[in-house]
Amino acid sequence: MGKPTGYLEYQRRPSPCRPPQARLGDWREFCLPMPDQELREQAARCMDCGVPFCHGGVVFGGAPAGCPLHNLIPEWNDMVYRGFWREAYQRLTITNDFPEFTSRVCPALCEGSCTGGLYGEAVTIQAIERAISERAFASGWVWCEPPVHRTRKRVAVVGSGPAGLACANQLNQLGHSVTVFEQADRPGGLLMYGIPNMKLDKAFVLRRVRLMREQGVVFQTNTRVGDDYPVKLLEREFDAIVLACGARQPRELSVPGREAQGVHLAVDYLTASTKAILAGATPAISARGLHVVVIGGGDTGTDCVATCLRQGCRSVIQLEIMPARPKVRSPENPWPQWPQLDRPGYGQTEAVRVFGQDQRHFCQQTQAILTDGDGNVRAVQSVQVGPRPMAGSVQEWPADLVLLAMGFSGPESRLLDQLGLARDQRGNVPAEFFATSLPGVFAAGDVKRGQSLVAWAIAEGRAAAQACHRYLTGE
Amino acid sequence: MTGEYLVQAQEIQIKIAQGAKPGEGGQLPGRKVYPWIAKVRHSIPGVELISPPPHHDIYSIEDLAQLIYDLKKANPQARISVKLVSAAGVGTIAAGVAKGKADVILISGYDGGTGASPRTSIRHAGLPWELGLAETHQTLVLNNLRDRVVLETDGKLLTGRDVAIAALLGAQEFGFATAPLIALGCVMMRVCNLDTCPVGIATQNPKLRQRFRGDPQYVQNLMQFIAMEMREIMAQLGVRTVSEMIGRTDLLQQRPDLPGKAKGVDLQRLLSQIRPAAGHYCQVSQPGEPGLDERRLLDLCRPALERGEQIKVMLPIRNTDRAVGTGLGSAITRRGSSLPDDTIQLEFVGSAGQSFAAFVPGGVTMKLFGDANDYLGKGLSGGRVIVRPPAKATFVAEENIIVGNVAFYGATGGEAFIRGVAGERFCVRNSGVRVVVEGVGDHGCEYMTGGLVVVLGPTGRNFAAGMSGGIAYVLDEEGNFARRCNQALVDLGPITDDGEQVRELVQKHVQATDSQVGKRVLENWHELLPRFVRVIPRDYRRMLDAINKAQAGGLSGDQALMAAFTANFRDAAHLDAS
Ligand SMILES: Cc1cc2nc3c(=O)[nH]c(=O)nc-3n(C[C@H](O)[C@H](O)[C@H](O)COP(=O)(O)OP(=O)(O)OC[C@H]3O[C@@H](n4cnc5c(N)ncnc54)[C@H](O)[C@@H]3O)c2cc1C
Ligand code: SF4
Ligand code: SF4
Repeated sequence: MGKPTGYLEYQRRPSPCRPPQARLGDWREFCLPMPDQELREQAARCMDCGVPFCHGGVVFGGAPAGCPLHNLIPEWNDMVYRGFWREAYQRLTITNDFPEFTSRVCPALCEGSCTGGLYGEAVTIQAIERAISERAFASGWVWCEPPVHRTRKRVAVVGSGPAGLACANQLNQLGHSVTVFEQADRPGGLLMYGIPNMKLDKAFVLRRVRLMREQGVVFQTNTRVGDDYPVKLLEREFDAIVLACGARQPRELSVPGREAQGVHLAVDYLTASTKAILAGATPAISARGLHVVVIGGGDTGTDCVATCLRQGCRSVIQLEIMPARPKVRSPENPWPQWPQLDRPGYGQTEAVRVFGQDQRHFCQQTQAILTDGDGNVRAVQSVQVGPRPMAGSVQEWPADLVLLAMGFSGPESRLLDQLGLARDQRGNVPAEFFATSLPGVFAAGDVKRGQSLVAWAIAEGRAAAQACHRYLTGE
Repeated sequence: MTGEYLVQAQEIQIKIAQGAKPGEGGQLPGRKVYPWIAKVRHSIPGVELISPPPHHDIYSIEDLAQLIYDLKKANPQARISVKLVSAAGVGTIAAGVAKGKADVILISGYDGGTGASPRTSIRHAGLPWELGLAETHQTLVLNNLRDRVVLETDGKLLTGRDVAIAALLGAQEFGFATAPLIALGCVMMRVCNLDTCPVGIATQNPKLRQRFRGDPQYVQNLMQFIAMEMREIMAQLGVRTVSEMIGRTDLLQQRPDLPGKAKGVDLQRLLSQIRPAAGHYCQVSQPGEPGLDERRLLDLCRPALERGEQIKVMLPIRNTDRAVGTGLGSAITRRGSSLPDDTIQLEFVGSAGQSFAAFVPGGVTMKLFGDANDYLGKGLSGGRVIVRPPAKATFVAEENIIVGNVAFYGATGGEAFIRGVAGERFCVRNSGVRVVVEGVGDHGCEYMTGGLVVVLGPTGRNFAAGMSGGIAYVLDEEGNFARRCNQALVDLGPITDDGEQVRELVQKHVQATDSQVGKRVLENWHELLPRFVRVIPRDYRRMLDAINKAQAGGLSGDQALMAAFTANFRDAAHLDAS
């Protein structure tokens, strides 16, 4: 531990952000790097706990606690405090293939479980993680290091989201020849088309993919396995297969009017937006000048709100079926569990700045999507639900664009059925120790655990690589 | 440890070792020695306290038996417990301890313990309590000693199941620390030694202590759950009382379904059953041993005890009279700490047994014409002790050893004048007594934390090792003291003031003992003053300077101490950072 009394001397300071007015005008990242001196002080707040709950990555009473990657947080905190940046980076990469992603998009489970947060405030772990990773890239410590020896084993990784990338990276370093299949035009999965550019600049995703290519990983984009590339061929060409194709089956809204013009899935909307930004073109679906209703109050909803605001929508509201979460931890949700709190995201903060008030409406169940005569959406009708049903609480929200951000129910079936894989009752691919019901076929990420987080996806990708490696080498 | 403190206790424990770090001592870092801690520990705020692993008064099982005897005299109502750690052969030691008349034997395991224990020790030095407990119980039963001691165990007992297993292996009492700490909010930070405990448990920092959210009820709850589980297990085993469970290893059995290496472990020896000839748990109490105090002194001193009358008594003494004065001191303390100076004046003629004047409080002067065995004035708590050769002695006092080893061990206050030379380990862990002596053996003033020692003659080797407080003045006529002094923590130098303090003490010494050396020193005071070497611990001097500075700045009492402590803490922080 850098400084035993650090946590008593320094206050927690979150990462600085660009002010909403400034950031709403462009698509650049809203989060700014932290100055060095401040980072040192923030790192000094770490207490090097005897039991560092920050890196537990366990589930306590149904709730996650600690970093899924088991990042060696107290160690690199100490190194940053002492100025040993390079060593810090080396420690960080022991557990984390892509710190540049997690340090931007992770909700920081680590901070939710940090002992500092028990009676005070958590260490700003994520800001430190980000600083280490940025410094590593800026100083040239992240270079192309292809494996010295090749095993001649060929592995197919289906899907290039964080799970697929991490798995491919690990397998490649172990000397196996990896081909990553991706149906989209660019690799990255939800890192590319899903999480908006303001949160994770796509240049960073492409930078990582380039690095992996240089190290020998083959990316085959625009290839949907099962359609563009037959499963039979896959089984013949490769010694092992890792499925990392995500949980992309959207949770549907079955109300009258769902098929109306102007109703879109959030991921389609976000994908269109990112594609347009990268191409410098106008997006296929745009909120410009429209009244927008986002159905779903989660993080995807937040991303939609932020994107709509940048596209210049006339209004945007968010309907959430659940009640608002509490402002402070409830007794049922004790430390070190991840705190289930009402934390307005960056999109909501921006909406407040533009419209003067919180645009979220809680306990709203969508009953119907109302259309005009031409089949275009006109409004969303909702009813207030809650502990007690509310009679006469039907409300209409004018809408030209409706975005469905209610999450995902599980993986898409097509490829899994072609392979003939066993599924659990939620449709996920059960894979104890990452091996599926078929020999030589492994699963990692959202396809296995259902909709989750980037950090879990990376952790699973790494573990699946190990399982696959053992399979290939017979160890 | 003052006599007053001992009198308050229901149980007094002699910690021979600690389960999590057997063979190691303890340290209280300077930054945790806040003024109020220093007060109870009779030390100086801001100065590190070292608890060395060995007990300097216990080198053998007889020494331990003596300490048990002393403590029973110091507080006849308290149980005396001896803490041992789980280790191969602990049974034999425990048998000795039982014969030494301890009431309770605690077998401590390696697990648990506060976060201040070094990790390496926890992992590699200690053993599970199960091993030591089984061995101890079996050995005690075999030797028909089990029925006179209570056997206790600790070392991360967490559940009713742990307690049940402990009882079946022979334990009768059970210690808990980790589990209740967790119930009180401990999150296992392992920073107990840094004074930065973020949940306000192992810290003296008032700001952090405010964070403490524990409640006695949480511990009560925990204990009730443990008891409930224990009761359920007892019901399953079909036993009605804990007493009948003790040592019933036949109710335990090794799990046959263990995988891997665990399968190869043979627990038969832990589980072997021994038919007790005597009882299998504590049923009788250790016999008492009335000493000179109980036979004579208490009666003789009754007027002083009851009415505060002055009393002067003269008695012969023999070396079988041990801990003389301790029982009397205990009676005085129990009635209200101490008496006015010289209320009770006792004179003894002869050879005093061990622990003469141990723990004696203020108001009692014990003068011995003759010589004394080991542990003279152990734990002296304000009384006055004078030892001189009988008037008709023909030997030269200052050339002969007149008191044994370990005199004034752990003394906290009082005065003493020894005409003659003392044995080894003189004034070890002294924290307050002011004493004049005419020579000492090896290891004088080791680990001393306070008080004042004047040595009017040569010392043995290793003087002042680990000394962290108090001052010693050594008359170094030969000029070779520096070689025999361990200067790791102390500075040597001349007396810087007029030496009045030393002179007054020597004067008292002469008055009390007719000392020839003392007379010569007083007669040649000006020539000899420069021959005195002042021995002062460095940290101690730094704190004294800080306190003086605070007092010069207009602060007084506790405020001055606190200001000095904080200033010192800041200095120490600078040192760390550089
Ligand atoms: C809008 C949105 C925002 C999010 N924001 C965050 C966030 O801020 N922080 C966070 O931690 N998590 C976030 N998540 C969740 C996170 O993105 C996912 O948990 C994570 O990306 C899952 O990784 P994965 O590799 O398992 O799957 P994905 O990232 O979904 O990648 C699967 C890839 O497989 C491809 N694929 C599927 N089937 C085939 C096939 N048959 N052939 C070829 N390719 C195929 C898909 O095109 C996709 O690229 C967000 C999710 C969404 C939808
Ligand atoms: S990956 Fe997430 S949980 Fe782990 S250290 Fe980084 S921010 Fe924290
Ligand atoms: S829990 Fe927080 S304070 Fe403790 S080691 Fe982890 S980051 Fe540091």
